Parts: sequence; C-alpha cells; structure tokens
Amino acid sequence: MRAYLKELYNRRLRVGPEKLRHRSEFMNWNYNAEIYAFGKRLGEEFSNDSLQAAFTHRSYIEAEEARRADLGIDVASAPLGLTDNSELTQKGEETASRYIKAYLRSSYPTMFEEAIVAIHDHLMSDDTLSHIASHIGIGDLMLCSDFPPEESTLSKNFLAVVGALETDKGVKRAESLVRDLVLAQLVGKELMELWSVTNPMGLLMAVLDSQGRGPPEPRLQWQAGQRTIMAVYQVGIYSDKQLIGQSAGERVTIAEDMAAQDALQRMMGIGSGHMPLTFRTEADKMELRYDPKNISAEELMQTYELRQKENSVS
Amino acid sequence: MSNRAIPNAFVKNVLQNGLGRYICQLQRVTLNFCKATPSSLGTRDFIEKYLVDFTRENPGTVVYVKPIRNRAPFLVAEYLNGRQERVSTKDMPADEVCKWLEHLRTRSGAQIVNLRKEWLTNTPSTQGVWHPFLNKNPSLAGTSFPAPELYGAKTESKSATDMVLEEAGVKKVGSVDSASSKE
Repeated sequence: MRAYLKELYNRRLRVGPEKLRHRSEFMNWNYNAEIYAFGKRLGEEFSNDSLQAAFTHRSYIEAEEARRADLGIDVASAPLGLTDNSELTQKGEETASRYIKAYLRSSYPTMFEEAIVAIHDHLMSDDTLSHIASHIGIGDLMLCSDFPPEESTLSKNFLAVVGALETDKGVKRAESLVRDLVLAQLVGKELMELWSVTNPMGLLMAVLDSQGRGPPEPRLQWQAGQRTIMAVYQVGIYSDKQLIGQSAGERVTIAEDMAAQDALQRMMGIGSGHMPLTFRTEADKMELRYDPKNISAEELMQTYELRQKENSVS
Repeated sequence: MSNRAIPNAFVKNVLQNGLGRYICQLQRVTLNFCKATPSSLGTRDFIEKYLVDFTRENPGTVVYVKPIRNRAPFLVAEYLNGRQERVSTKDMPADEVCKWLEHLRTRSGAQIVNLRKEWLTNTPSTQGVWHPFLNKNPSLAGTSFPAPELYGAKTESKSATDMVLEEAGVKKVGSVDSASSKE
C-alpha cells in the first residue's frame, strides 16, 4: 500500500504544479457583480460604463478581434462595442500627477522642487502603482492579453480607475482616492532616500547664502573609539553660531556629509519629529495651489556659483 | 513563545488601510452547501434569513452561493491579498455561521501567526532615539583626561553632614579639598 501511495505522489510531482488560472475560469464568477463590488469596496459610486471601460485594455480588444477574425466572424459587421481605457488612463495620470505635486508642495512648502519631483516619480512608478492595484482587486478584473498581469498593465489600470472616477464624480473625489491610496504610501518612508543629493554641503552653502545667513561651518562635536573598527564621529553644522544640523558617522567626512543632509532635511521640514501628512477631512479642507512650484535646488546652486564668480572677479 | 520553529510575524497593515479610507479586505465569499442533507441545515437557514442583509451591508464583497449535492457545507473567503480561508460549517446552526462570516469579514487576509508585538509604528520615537552623546555636557568634548576635579559625586546643595562639619570647623575626610590639600 505504501509503495502505491508513494508512486502516486511521485507521479503527481512529475506532472508539475497546478496551472495558473485566471479567477474567471472558476465557476463562481460574475463579472458584473465583481465590477459593482469593486466600486463599492473603494466607497465610491462609479457608473458601470466608465468602470467597464477602465478595465478594458487595448491588448484585449486586439486579441478578441484577432480571435473573431480567425473564427471567420466579420469584425466590421459585428463590432465588439468595447471602448479601451487609454483615454481614462491619460486623464487619471494627469489628475494624479497634478494632485500629488500640489499636495506635496502644500505639505512641505520649503522642500526643493527636485525632491518633490523625485517623490512624485517614486509614487507614480509602476512598482508602487501596481502594488496598490493588486491589493484593491484590480488583478482579477482586468481584461488584457497578458496573464499573469504585468506591472505596467496594473498601474495603467489603476490610473484608468482614477480617470473613471473623475469622469463620474469630479476631480475632488478622484483626488481623494489618489490621496488615500497613493499618498498614504509615503507614511513611514524616509523621504531623503527618495531624492539623492550629490553635493549636500554645496547645496547648503547656496541655500544659506540665498537666505543671507552665515556660511555653514562644520565642527566635530564628539568622537569615540578612534583606533577601533567602531569609530564614531559626531559632526554639527553651524551657521551664525546656530546649530542647523548634526549627525554621527564612521568617518569625519561621512559624518559631515550626513550632517549636511540633516540640515537640509530640517530646512525642508521632513525627518522624524516633523508633522505627519494630513488625511481625511483635514486634507479635504486643504487649499492647494497647483501651478506655483517650490524653490529649485539647481537654480540656487547656479545663482550661488555666479555670485561667487562675481565676488572673485571683483 | 520564543521558539524559532513556531511561525511568528509582526502585525502588518497592507496599503496603510484605514489611514485614508477603510477598504474591507474580504473580496468574495462562497457558501457551499447541500440542499438536502441535515449537516447543511444551519447554512440553509442562514442563507434564507441573514444572507441578503449581509450582502446589503457589505456591497464591496461578492457573495456566491454554490449548492453541491451530498457534501458537507463550508465557506470559502477570498481576500484582496490573494489568500483564501475555508471554514467548515458542518452541523453549525445559522447564528454560528453568522459569527464565522463576521470573523472572516473583519480579517485582513493575512495568515494567523503568533504576533511578536501587538502594535506597529513607523515612528517609535518623536524626540529621537537616545544615544550616549545626547545629554552630555559639551565641555566634556574638550576635556583632557585624567581630570580629578570631575571625579566624585556632584552635589548641588550642602548635605546635612556638610553643615554639621562646617559648624564644628572640620573638613570632611575624603573630600576634594582634603585630597588637594594632601598633595
């Protein structure tokens, strides 16, 4: 008996794992009910047409038409009657992009434009959006030719859903959705990690100069264990004898670099101990200005360099 | 409790659910039951009495009802993270099925394991984590050691012993003054 069971087991292993199937292949599936539930799950009222369109990808329509042509059905006389989601995707992308930038600029008024753009790019990346999309149930509802669903398809679909909500309920509700699902992913993230500064000390010099404050002076505050592998140096950066940033590091140069980054962090209003992002009713009351950009780090550096050249010439 | 072999995890919240809006993680639930056998009686009662109310209260969850002949009844809950949970409702009365469905509705879909901590926070410290340099007197950084004047307990005010000795005109043995005077 044992040998028989063992043989059965080994045969099952040899055949390989169960084929990955789309959820719709199982018996308990009702596409209309699933679409309706999707809208209700997010707490929004969508119209059926726009949701259907949001989930229909160009690749699916092409695949369907090819299949019908193969079967001999004349595509022109019996059209599919499906609209794809390219328009809604574009609409959703514009709304989401605009809102994310405006929200960040309003939450962090002193943050550099480059940092805002870097955080925005991170949030709108395929990685982030596809992660969000797969966790609100878009994976099962998508009509597309690729299976398992690709990250790019999932993120496009999510933006199409945002576009569909904008079409049905207006910009405000779409922005609320973007805030609750996309901007919420920033909570707990180190924002300085998303934006890489190649020369934090140089930028700090430019910033302080533009504000008319004294130049940054790094000072070694503490050191311990110099002749060991666990050496630590704490460097503080002072401007007009006021401490603007400090950090510890394995070497003095590293500590100085980190301290400059700490100073920039404090100026931008990010880092631990600063205000968290606003959500819910408070965020609805936020008055956002979409167009004016924040100060640009590049421009500051260029202005500073020009001024230095003028000073050295004169 | 601290066995490495027992599965455990930190409590987690996917997509920061609840921060903005709460999204019910139960995607769909399927009630499998038999129309005739007595073990499905409670499940059949549940479907007749309470199921429609459940669907009205939870429009974000798709409910499928699947009669299967001569099989014991069970619920299958599918969550947004792709996991499934099965609950056998064999011989259960209708209200017990209700309770199990409510349990499944309020779950996140994550596997039930021992939780290492009951809470999760991204900012455990708002004032900054302590480190040895935090509240040190900065003058210590420029002090060269040995510095005998720093040894010994710092007293802010005179102790009772000091006052008595002062009155008697005697210097305390082992005090800083006596040490320096010896040298």
